[in-house]
Amino acid sequence: MSVDYLLHESSVGYAVFKVRMQADTVGNRLKEVQEQSQDLAKFGKMVELVSFAPFQGASQALENANEISEGIVSEYLKTVLEANLPKASKKKKTTLGVTDRNLAGSIKAEFPNVDCETGETSEVVADLLRGLRLHAGKLLKGLQDGDVERAQLGLGHAYSRAKVKFSVQKNDNHII
Amino acid sequence: ARGGGGFGAKGGQKVIIEPHRHAGVFIARGKEDLLVTKNLTPGEAVYGEKRISVETSAATSGAAALDGNVPAVTKTEYRVWNPFRSKLAAGILGGMEDIYMKPGSKVLYIGAASGTSVSHVADIVGPTGTVFAVEFSHRSGRDLINMATHRTNVIPIIEDARHPLKYRMLVSMVDCIFADVAQPDQARIVGLNAHLFLKTGGGVVISIKASCIDSTAAPEAVFAREVVKLREERIKPKEQLTLEPFERDHAMVAGIYTRSTA
Repeated sequence: MSVDYLLHESSVGYAVFKVRMQADTVGNRLKEVQEQSQDLAKFGKMVELVSFAPFQGASQALENANEISEGIVSEYLKTVLEANLPKASKKKKTTLGVTDRNLAGSIKAEFPNVDCETGETSEVVADLLRGLRLHAGKLLKGLQDGDVERAQLGLGHAYSRAKVKFSVQKNDNHII
Repeated sequence: ARGGGGFGAKGGQKVIIEPHRHAGVFIARGKEDLLVTKNLTPGEAVYGEKRISVETSAATSGAAALDGNVPAVTKTEYRVWNPFRSKLAAGILGGMEDIYMKPGSKVLYIGAASGTSVSHVADIVGPTGTVFAVEFSHRSGRDLINMATHRTNVIPIIEDARHPLKYRMLVSMVDCIFADVAQPDQARIVGLNAHLFLKTGGGVVISIKASCIDSTAAPEAVFAREVVKLREERIKPKEQLTLEPFERDHAMVAGIYTRSTA
């Protein structure tokens, strides 16, 4: 099955890409096909940025990172998808490529006219998403060099600190 | 005078630093030879390791000639990397052909623990590189976060490496995956992460502790089986070496991730 759109989740925000060209399932593992997605000039012709929705701040990014890691569609992601995927029509379903199976289920529940392919069900989708991750800094419009890294650093600390529930500044409270 | 060092590499003047075959790694030649990395945060030790400060005259080190009024002598600080405490250091001293990380590399480090070895990897990749350090245990994860606050090229990720999708927003495509997780399904964990985050042609370096995978079989048989599992994950093994005399029944396996099968 072919894929129409891709969802890319990153530390700076969500991005929806339209797929303009894709390899077929049979030829996907060929060397030439694999090399295509590594070359930004070639890969840039395979996908087209529809919309990039940056996070408004660190707290929003953390909130979304937590929901994404649990496979939940956050309010923000919902508005992003509503705005950028084609409106519901009875004739045709839109196929969206996402990385995570759980998120795919949540999206399908929210959007009845959207079908999802994940990296597990389709290697073509997995490779397209790998390409997006590789070239994210260049494909997302309006980003400066190092923006993604800086956002990752901040988000990584915030996410991990929240996981380690007790204060990171304090030592353990030993009993007696 | 500088505090800290008690014996061995005392003084600093008599020690000569030579670059190692692997970029970013150095050898300190003094009374005894030591493996060292250039300290990213001079004046600070991460886990009480010894530091060596070396004076280089600006004339001999070309890199120091940035502008005209630099002092004739610059100080560079190195941190001693103990092969008995770090598998990667043991592998390097054991003569690994390639460690797939160098200054500027992005490394996904699985099984970061308290971040002692991670800090040396951070030294190797330097300020232009990034280390994504994944650790599941909250107890050691806290130390990891503390270490990362001083080293801004380390991104701490407290999450289960078996579920790489959970931290996909925090990680970019990487040049190398280093894994030291001591889990029976280690090869699978590495494969899952490689499929998502490792560049095609990127390197995989894994430390395998035989007893953690199968304590009844002979270590050599365990290593051979793990290599087969890696092949199934599309990782083409390049070399395997034991970590003797630093660790018993450990092997270091390095390979290259190939996505195309043709």
